[in-house]
Amino acid sequence: MASRKFLTITAASTLLACLACTAVAQDKESVMKMREQTMKTMGGAMQATGKFVKNEGGTVDDVKAAAARLTEAASKDIASLFPAGSTGGESRAKPEIWTSWDVFAKQWADLKPAAAKLTEAAASGDRQQIAAAMGGVGKACGTCHDQFRAPKQ
Amino acid sequence: MGHRSLILAITLVPVALAASGPSAVAAETPPADAVRRGEYVFNAAGCLGCHTDEKGGGAPLAGGRGLATPFGTFHTPNITPDPTHGIGRWTEAQFVKAFREGEGPGGTHLFPAFPYASYTRMTDADLKDLRAYLMTRPASAQANRPHDLDPPFGWRFLLPVWKALYLDEGPLPDDPSKPAEWNRGRYLVEALGHCGECHTPRDWMGGMDQDRRFAGSSEGPEGDKIPNITPEPKAGIGGWSVGDIASFLEIGMTPDGDFVGSGMGEVIRNSTSKLTPEDRRAIAVYLKSVPAVK
Ligand code: HEC
Ligand code: HEC
Ligand code: HEC
Repeated sequence: MASRKFLTITAASTLLACLACTAVAQDKESVMKMREQTMKTMGGAMQATGKFVKNEGGTVDDVKAAAARLTEAASKDIASLFPAGSTGGESRAKPEIWTSWDVFAKQWADLKPAAAKLTEAAASGDRQQIAAAMGGVGKACGTCHDQFRAPKQ
Repeated sequence: MGHRSLILAITLVPVALAASGPSAVAAETPPADAVRRGEYVFNAAGCLGCHTDEKGGGAPLAGGRGLATPFGTFHTPNITPDPTHGIGRWTEAQFVKAFREGEGPGGTHLFPAFPYASYTRMTDADLKDLRAYLMTRPASAQANRPHDLDPPFGWRFLLPVWKALYLDEGPLPDDPSKPAEWNRGRYLVEALGHCGECHTPRDWMGGMDQDRRFAGSSEGPEGDKIPNITPEPKAGIGGWSVGDIASFLEIGMTPDGDFVGSGMGEVIRNSTSKLTPEDRRAIAVYLKSVPAVK
């Protein structure tokens, strides 16, 4: 009798432990999905801006919309997009993110003023100014990827 | 304002126009246009990054950067015109020989971490201009640091074996059946840009695997993974247009708006962003023509 109760408890706690396990795993996965979405949104915005700058069919309104999307993405809380240890598997996030967190967070913060310049340039409608502002944002993206993202394979 | 100059305007690093003042050491004063051409060759060949310890705050071209490889860590030498610690005493013939044959003064065999397997393809004219430019750079008295290599890779006397296996000396003649743009692109990719030194996988002795040229590598310099840049549609960059490749080489943006980093960010910053739009296009045209490899 007693041993049966014991078994049930063991089984139940094992089950619970496992549930907690997948909950953690799912959490990590959803965080990584969310930041992939954020990054891809920014990529799409840069692509749209590039289309205008290179005269490949984009309009100033596309750039305005892109600048708004960039600004929104750059306002996201970096700590919630990159909680400690959220790497592994397909992720290209380097572990140095968490050992040099201040540098990483600063590089994220640098996106905002760069995006603001793009918003300003988009309002002016001047292609040259938009090109320069786009270069500034691209530099902010590339600086962080240079240091904190492993190359793709 | 045409689209070319606009793209130029977003170049992340402005091109340094004129070559600056004469050096303290260079014995002869080379003609100004040789120096100017040499600066372009210097940028296209990407000498600065490897020979400068940027992280450690080292002087440009004074060496000391550590290059981690599967064979151990190389410490790049000082290539400023300093007569004692740099290459100020090297004659033009000695300089050319280092690139053509991987051999320094006195018959020292050089390690192929100095990418002479690619630079051997450079023309004599470009090598002479390159030297003229280097001799105008400020001298630095920084002493060289020995390499830290695992045997047997640290043994210079084995290098002739390596050379016999992998070094195919001398420039490639132009292929008259191909357009001038393609030939220029091939020269920029194979000789100056030494793209294959990173993008082509290596065998256990560090030779480039010629059957898988540009197919990417799981162990590139500094342990980085390197992507496939052949025109293979899935594994490579078959989906990129010539224009996509050219603007990537200028500002580092991929067709989906992503910005590269890692080793390639430096290549773009120091090298391809400083080329003319025509040369970036030539690289793109040539890359689209290499065999697709999965
Ligand atoms: C503060 C650092 C930082 C900044 C700034 C940054 N990124 Fe990223 N980005 C990363 C990291 C780290 C990853 C890898 C995430 C992973 O794989 O888990 C990444 C991944 C990406 C990806 C790949 C997404 C995927 O998984 O498919 C794209 C696209 C991207 N970034 C675009 C951008 C653009 C465009 C900008 C500038 C507007 C930018 N990023 C700014 C750190 C940054
Ligand atoms: C991928 C990194 C890399 C690049 C790019 C590179 N070098 Fe080097 N270079 C090295 C290494 C490593 C050595 C040391 C080789 C040895 O000790 O045998 C070296 C050696 C040399 C030497 C011989 C110096 C001596 O004291 O023996 C010269 C000259 C030289 N490089 C010039 C250049 C020039 C000019 C360029 C650009 C055209 C260039 N290098 C590009 C890594 C590089
Ligand atoms: C020092 C090593 C190195 C050299 C030299 C080098 N590359 Fe790269 N390249 C890389 C790395 C690493 C990446 C991946 C960067 C990343 O994903 O963040 C890359 C990425 C690329 C990509 C993008 C591929 C993709 O699918 O996103 C292209 C195109 C490219 N390189 C072309 C070139 C060309 C052309 C040259 C010669 C002019 C060259 N590379 C020289 C290391 C190098």
